Amino acid sequence: MLFEIRWLILITLAGLAFGVLSPIVTARKMMFLAAAMPHSALLAAVIGIPLSITYGLSPGLWAIIIGTPLPLIIYALEKKGVEEDVGTSVYVAATASLSVALMYYVLTSYPMESSLWSYILGDPLLSTWSDVYLVTIITVALLALLVPFMREQILMGVDRDFAVSSGIHASLYDIIFLLLLSLSTIGFMRTVGYVLEHVLILLPASLALLISKSGRDVVLFSITSAVLSAIIGLLLGISLNLQVSASVGLVLLIGYILAIVWRR
Amino acid sequence: MKLVIRTENVTVRLGNEDIISDLNLDLEGPGLVVVIGPNGAGKTTLFQTLVGLVKPHKGKVRINNVDVTGNPKLAGKHIGYMPQLSQVNRSFPITGREFVESSILFRMKPPRLRVPGWVSRKTEEIVRELGALEFMDKPISELSGGQIQRLMIARTVVPDTPILLLDEPTSAIDPRGKLDVIKFIEKLSRNKLVLLTTHDPTVFKEKAKLLIVFWRGVKAIGKPVEVLKPEILREIYGEMVIPVKECVHLVDTHAV
Ligand SMILES: Nc1ncnc2c1ncn2[C@@H]1O[C@H](COP(=O)(O)OP(=O)(O)O)[C@@H](O)[C@H]1O
Ligand SMILES: [Mg+2]
Repeated sequence: MLFEIRWLILITLAGLAFGVLSPIVTARKMMFLAAAMPHSALLAAVIGIPLSITYGLSPGLWAIIIGTPLPLIIYALEKKGVEEDVGTSVYVAATASLSVALMYYVLTSYPMESSLWSYILGDPLLSTWSDVYLVTIITVALLALLVPFMREQILMGVDRDFAVSSGIHASLYDIIFLLLLSLSTIGFMRTVGYVLEHVLILLPASLALLISKSGRDVVLFSITSAVLSAIIGLLLGISLNLQVSASVGLVLLIGYILAIVWRR
Repeated sequence: MKLVIRTENVTVRLGNEDIISDLNLDLEGPGLVVVIGPNGAGKTTLFQTLVGLVKPHKGKVRINNVDVTGNPKLAGKHIGYMPQLSQVNRSFPITGREFVESSILFRMKPPRLRVPGWVSRKTEEIVRELGALEFMDKPISELSGGQIQRLMIARTVVPDTPILLLDEPTSAIDPRGKLDVIKFIEKLSRNKLVLLTTHDPTVFKEKAKLLIVFWRGVKAIGKPVEVLKPEILREIYGEMVIPVKECVHLVDTHAV
């Protein structure tokens, strides 16, 4: 059986990154906004293809440059008094329809069909070492900018006014978190795919909430469940000849169901 | 230690409406100041303005002679703020301990990786005084509103700021527990300036040095016995005011 170490590295990093992001999303009740990220990430990925062909650089790099700041639109709308969920709805509508329009254009004008599919389905087995380097840099940045501030990121979600009145610079935390969420969603798109990203952003913390008795537990269980299901999903996928991101998603879902049963 | 809250011509506009107009407050501690007013009066907005969370459309907020207008970081050095219970996301299972200790954690320099030992000791001491020790290690998602309010009070008190603003601190606490908590707050007000909002002013009658009737601004201010009079209260509460003996009760159907 063929096995490449870079598959394991990629899928573990994906589990780690989304395992860290997920509890913050949940504590701050940003599930809807977070689930909008893959939509703009897909748009950025599609834009990256013609840009890469025209100007060089890899399409993934273009996607990161263009896509990472996009959710700041929601943030700016919120500052103008538009509610987060309303801003997000507009954002999803805009990015989703634009990406479909652009996909059609790209598919009819460039011979890139297979590469587009890899963004939507995701497949670590198609990865190259340069993918590994890229997501390693992203994961390191994410861990460096989130782990030391994990408590505040979560406690802010529990009571924002209290955090701000105690001297926490909330908007700085918001912007950093939003950019990291966006960056990771784009960076991991080829590894785990647009569809599984929704699952990885939402499910690890939801699972952790079921079995946690403290904020610390939520973070630890979220990371553990995301990393474990990523690795188990990869191994199952390879040995049973299943699509890997589908099998990661299924393993996580089974974990979630087990957690519900366990809690009873 | 100075204990002064002063507002100069403060007007707060939310949407297109002036929620507070042209407010000039001058409060000096120590002591307990009780703010009453019906839902929508702007009590919460007032507190949020005093701690810098809401920036007034015009006017200045000075705390201990420092201009803190719209600057929560600066205001927070002097003020401990307890938001209304409804502000807390109760579905996320942090423990009561994590919840209370966050008050010091937020005030420390980053990275805030560890809670120092003295914080835990101080937290336990105050939580015990508030009768919350037995549930402080449970997740807040499993606690009742009244239990969380006790922890919220502890959280506000632990950093030991000279001024405290407590927004409906006892609204969900049972009548017996309420008396203990009020006693605790009264003790604090002996050397701090404590402002609180309530829909139940009679229990504070003897303890408060000032009572403010609030509706988009100060409608009446004075010693509780002077202000708690039917003719003053009826003006803003309408027919909900029922005189009982020499004292006045507000019929409160929807305390949050
Ligand atoms: N962000 C906002 N935009 C517009 N109006 C608001 C906003 N926040 C509060 N209000 C309004 O301000 C008024 C005062 O609210 P609040 O300060 O919460 O009153 P209280 O605490 O006395 O019940 C209410 O009528 C409320 O609808
Ligand atoms: Mg209020």
